[in-house]
Parts: sequence; structure tokens; C-alpha cells
Amino acid sequence: MNKLIWKKDITAEIYTWKSALWLLLTAIIYSVTCYLLLTNKELSLLDQTEMLWLLAKIIIGASLLVAIIDASSILTVEFEQETMEDLLISPLSVKDLIIGKFLTVMTVWALMYAVAVPYVLVSSAGSGLGPAFLAYIALYGTLMVGGFTLFVLGLSFLYRSFKNTLTTSLVFYLAVGIPALFSATLKANPFGSIISVANPLDAVFSSLDNILVDYHTALTANATYLASVAGFVVVAVVFLAVSVKVFDRHGIVKE
Amino acid sequence: MMSVSIALFAAFGAPASATAAIALDVSSSKTLSGTAGDFVTVNGTIANTGPTALSDVTAYLSLVDTTAHMPVDLEDWSVEKGLYIGTIGAGAKLPLDWKIHFVKSGDYALSILAIVKGENKPIGSALTYFHVAQKKNLNPGAVLPVALGEPILIVMFFLLLKYRRDKKSA
Repeated sequence: MNKLIWKKDITAEIYTWKSALWLLLTAIIYSVTCYLLLTNKELSLLDQTEMLWLLAKIIIGASLLVAIIDASSILTVEFEQETMEDLLISPLSVKDLIIGKFLTVMTVWALMYAVAVPYVLVSSAGSGLGPAFLAYIALYGTLMVGGFTLFVLGLSFLYRSFKNTLTTSLVFYLAVGIPALFSATLKANPFGSIISVANPLDAVFSSLDNILVDYHTALTANATYLASVAGFVVVAVVFLAVSVKVFDRHGIVKE
Repeated sequence: MMSVSIALFAAFGAPASATAAIALDVSSSKTLSGTAGDFVTVNGTIANTGPTALSDVTAYLSLVDTTAHMPVDLEDWSVEKGLYIGTIGAGAKLPLDWKIHFVKSGDYALSILAIVKGENKPIGSALTYFHVAQKKNLNPGAVLPVALGEPILIVMFFLLLKYRRDKKSA
């Protein structure tokens, strides 16, 4: 059943030209970024490894933004258009519904990743970092997009409103995104260190720095960062489970 | 801002202090040209022409954009913006080499300056003029086929989908 939900939603995402415009805009963002970065690299103003790190952050950051917006609407639309009741009285469980919606957002991420691959290859040419770059972007992107999607779906069950879900999700994204962009000096004090360890996006950026700038490409060299991201995914799963319980208790018609 | 540039130009042409007895010479070409991204080396010498040793001598570069009439921040242009020479003996002559990276197109004037402890004004060398041509490479790192091609491919893919759908529905 979840396959039917996935098929319906992903068709809606890319069926018409207008609904798939985000994919073209993503490609244009990557084009402009890569062109600017490579022009600077040619002037030797930017080291190639630093350029790859910037590109990796842009790919992860843009993908998360698109995934959050997509996940915010994908479930709440069923509440706002009053189709949730119809879905739940059909032979479809809430679990099927969640898996179908989750897979749709993950497919959107997979498309964004596929669009990014040629840019990664052309910008990492000659560095020997291309395969590691692609593998770690796939790993971290999947974990982060997955974690955020589960969190946003959990919020959707609680709010049942696109506007509230999107606003809260974006604020949460900013809350993890802004400290991740702090300089190393700001993270040097004890409070900054705690935030840095607990922040999954910070862990992703630090790990990418470790891989692309310091050439520590082994999984074991990035285990602590992976643990932080995996911890976030577990928290998101628990949050979604609690939200579904709350939804079950209140029922489709919220009192 | 204008007064700052004028002051810098005044500093370039300032005669060596009679008491400091430091002579700065540029031995490389007085006019250098290249394209943005190129590296050139500016060679010079610093000499103590006096009878006594001088201590706490620092040599540094000053760069002015002669088109914009503005001093240029040496960030990215040179790794070593200044050289601490320390003590220079009587009659001693030391080489000074600076690797300059042409970052931006335009016309520039560069001078080597030195300050000596106890002196109230810097000592300047003759000017070296740079002409930096713009780098015209439309395809850095062979990125252009990807940067232009991928958005075009996506558009073509969706046009093809639309065409197939329209054909099917007709």
C-alpha cells in the first residue's frame, strides 16, 4: 500500500513542468556555484579541497531545505484538503501512509543527489576525492534528509497545518544550521563545544571538513560525527512515534 | 580616502632619511605585466649605507591601484606582506624577494618601504608599475558543459515527458 502512496505523491511532484521547477532551479544553483568556485580556484584564491567542502555544504543545505518544505506539505495537505479520513478508512495503515510519504521525500532527495553528481565529478577532478565526496554526500544526505523528514512528519501529525509545520520546521533548521556555520573560535568555549557535539548538521560539516580538507576518508576516522547524525535520526524516529501515538489518541477529528 | 592615497604616493617618493642611511632598490623590472592569476617576483635590496649598524628594521610592501586611486589590501596578493630584518650592519646589503600574485585586473604601483626604529618617516624605493590583464577563460576546469548542459538536459527531459503525455492523451 505504501507503494501506491509513494507513486501518487512522486507523480504529483514531477508530473507537470511547474511542479518540477525546483529540480531545474537546483541545477541552476549548482551551476552558478560550481562556475564561481572553479573560477576562483583557477586564480588560486581558493584551494580545491576548500572549494569541495563549500560545494558539499551547499548540496546538503539545499537538499535539506527542499526536503523540509516538501515534507511539511506532503502530509498536512491530507489534513487541509480533508482527504486524511478517506485514506484512513481505506485498507491503509498509518504506518503505510508514513512509509509512502517518507519514500516520496527520499526520492526527491535522490533526484537532487543525481543532479549534483556531475557537478561533484567536475569540481573534484584531479583531487582524488571524487569517490569519497560522492559516497559521504550520499551517506550524510540520506541520514540528514531522512532524520529531518521523520521529524517534520511528526510535527505534521501534531499540527495538521502546513503553515505551522513549515514555520516550526524552518526555525528548527535555522537552529541547527546557524551554529553549524559558526567559526571554530566560537565553538572553542565549553558551551560552543556542547552545541557542536549535539548538533547533527555541525557534525556533518565537521566530518566533510575532515574528509575533504584533511583527507581523513575512512569511516572510522568519522565515527564520532556519524554517531551524532545517527543519534539525531533515532531521536526523530522516537519523536514521530510519539506524534503518531498522540494522533491515534486524539483521532482524526481533533477536539 | 583621496588624502590617504596622496599620502601613500608621497611616502613612495619620500627621500631616504639622512640619519637612517638606508637605501632601498628594486632590481627587477620597473614595469611588470601579466594576467590575473599569474605570479611575478619583485626583487630588491636593502642596504645600510651608514657607518653604524641599524636595529629593528622592517621592510614591507605598499600597493596602490592607480586606476581607482586607492591603496590595495595585500591579502591574496602576497603571502609575505612584511619582512622583519632586525639588525643590518654598517655597509651591509641584503636581498629582498617578494612573490606577487596578480589577483585582479587593473593598473598598480608597488613600492618597498622600510621603517627603522627611532625614525619618524619611512624610507621608500622607486615604484614598480604593474599592468594586470583580465583572465578570459570561459571554461575553468571544463565546468561549462556541465554548468550549461545539465539545466538544458533537465528542461529537455520534461519537454519530452510533456510531449509523450500530450501524444498519449491525443
